[in-house]
Amino acid sequence: MSAAPRYHEYFEYRRYPLVVPPLDTGVDPVRHRVAIVGGGPIGLTLALGLARHGVRSVVIEADDAVSYGSRAACISRRSLEIFDRLGVAQDVLGEALPWTAGTSYYRDVPVYRLQMPMDEDQRFAPMVNLEQCICEQLLADRAAALPGLVDIRWQTKLAGMKHRDDGVELELETARGAYRLRADWLVACDGARSAVRQALGLRFSGSTYDGTYIIVDVHLKSDYPTERRAWFDPPTNPGSTILVHKQPRDIWRVDYQLRDDEDPEEAVKPENVLPRVRSHLEWIGERDDWTPVWISAYRANCLTLDSYRHGRVLFAGDAAHLVPIFGVRGMNSGIDDTHNLAWKLAWVVQGRSPVGLLDSYSTERVFAACENIRHASKSTEFMAPPSSAFKLMREAALGLATRDPFFATLINPRQSSAITFADSPLNAADSDALPSGPVPGAVLPECPVETAAGARHLTELLGAGYTALCLTGNDPRAALSGLRDLPLTIVWIAPRKASGADAWDATGRLFPLYGAAPAACYLVRPDGHVAGCWREPQADSLRGAVRRALQ
Amino acid sequence: MLTDQELDDVYTTACHAMTDLGEAKQPLFLARLTLLLMKEVGDAARIRAAIESARALDKRR
Repeated sequence: MSAAPRYHEYFEYRRYPLVVPPLDTGVDPVRHRVAIVGGGPIGLTLALGLARHGVRSVVIEADDAVSYGSRAACISRRSLEIFDRLGVAQDVLGEALPWTAGTSYYRDVPVYRLQMPMDEDQRFAPMVNLEQCICEQLLADRAAALPGLVDIRWQTKLAGMKHRDDGVELELETARGAYRLRADWLVACDGARSAVRQALGLRFSGSTYDGTYIIVDVHLKSDYPTERRAWFDPPTNPGSTILVHKQPRDIWRVDYQLRDDEDPEEAVKPENVLPRVRSHLEWIGERDDWTPVWISAYRANCLTLDSYRHGRVLFAGDAAHLVPIFGVRGMNSGIDDTHNLAWKLAWVVQGRSPVGLLDSYSTERVFAACENIRHASKSTEFMAPPSSAFKLMREAALGLATRDPFFATLINPRQSSAITFADSPLNAADSDALPSGPVPGAVLPECPVETAAGARHLTELLGAGYTALCLTGNDPRAALSGLRDLPLTIVWIAPRKASGADAWDATGRLFPLYGAAPAACYLVRPDGHVAGCWREPQADSLRGAVRRALQ
Repeated sequence: MLTDQELDDVYTTACHAMTDLGEAKQPLFLARLTLLLMKEVGDAARIRAAIESARALDKRR
């Protein structure tokens, strides 16, 4: 469902040619290590992640360009950290609009002020807005700079596949005929209607909400700052809920909920959409002319596969799970999937780890999807009440919130954040309970540090493999010299400037934040999750924890 | 005082309970819940203040 498709007026689409490799009786003679189906943000991020670990992949993409239409608009801090490790964060930040706050209104009264975690220790804003097509183009540009590692086959469609014990054989269709392609591993990043998922006969489980939202992107020049604004029951659209987000290049995202008695097929037509958008934009003081860029209808889903690994086939992003848009966990959770998968798949392909390591990808990311669905369901139940009871209670809560901030917390949109894998099979068995700091399975809280090369942030010190962050006054390297056979980078962070230290706690905030009293050692996985923590660096504990990924 | 998370959880629990009962039985459910919470609060002045707060929102409009 769409109308007025005008994205190309605000974004120069680069058209990529069809490239069919030289064939040997209808087959790509190269046996690929990893094939990725779907060249959207998830497939491209995965390809870049594999490339970072030295693994080449081939990406199968049906289109001749990046995506069209209203899609993911918000990139989380966690996704920016991942993009940074892939070398695209600066490109993204060059285009995106950062934001930290938001306001929710009941009718015309502000009832909740959203403040996302932001302080001087942070390297990235908690959220930035960027049209998905621009994000994808930046990822594709980065991939093009790695020609030996990422091979994108544009205008190539998956028509069928055979799944064998040792890999897959894909049947690919192009305008110049069909060919087959063999790979040891296949990762399905082909979105909500995944052809791979259907080919394997796999089904989602979970639930679908009835409420329909209309999503409208409009071109509008406005100086209003970037923040999330939500109106419940606004005078312009009584009974509805409206969300407004600013995106780069003067594009504004307006989402509004349809009443239960409205027919989505009718409601998505421009003649029904534009007056409602106009009345709201005028009411909030936007007087400039604007034009619609894209209109679509959306219904919230809470669906996931039970496992993201099926033999030689893995699933990531919307192909694996569908999470309601409220809280922006869609694309962001998919990016997190790829970051969890890239190093594991790379290490399996390189023979460094057993195939079973990939089962931890499934365990961890299915858990993350369930957590994301749980949080997003709460947001959805408030943004689009699934029954008259939820609607009645919401009306009561919003009314009371105009007088009493105690009830305002119910309006919190619960924005996306990284998931902690407290029960991960990769967590060390012998971690110490430290007075503060991230627990095993969590990602690292950011903090500035000083290095000989200047000011850095903690997450910039991580190596490509595992990293032992040793917060201690004494050089730990001699005691850990026996670990050189492991894919492990030792980083020494001293409490103050010390000769030989990789970094030191110039602000005095890092040691307390990480419970280093007086010392602490954190083992960090290649995807940034903590695998174990101890009161001091201990070679045996580090070896035991790293080996969990190697055997 | 309830934490944010606790408020969120009991709010959602009440919403689900009311959804399961169906619209027709919701007013009686809310009346029962009010009486049970009156008993729990056990303080007439606080209950009267809450009644006033609930009524004030409609008076204003």
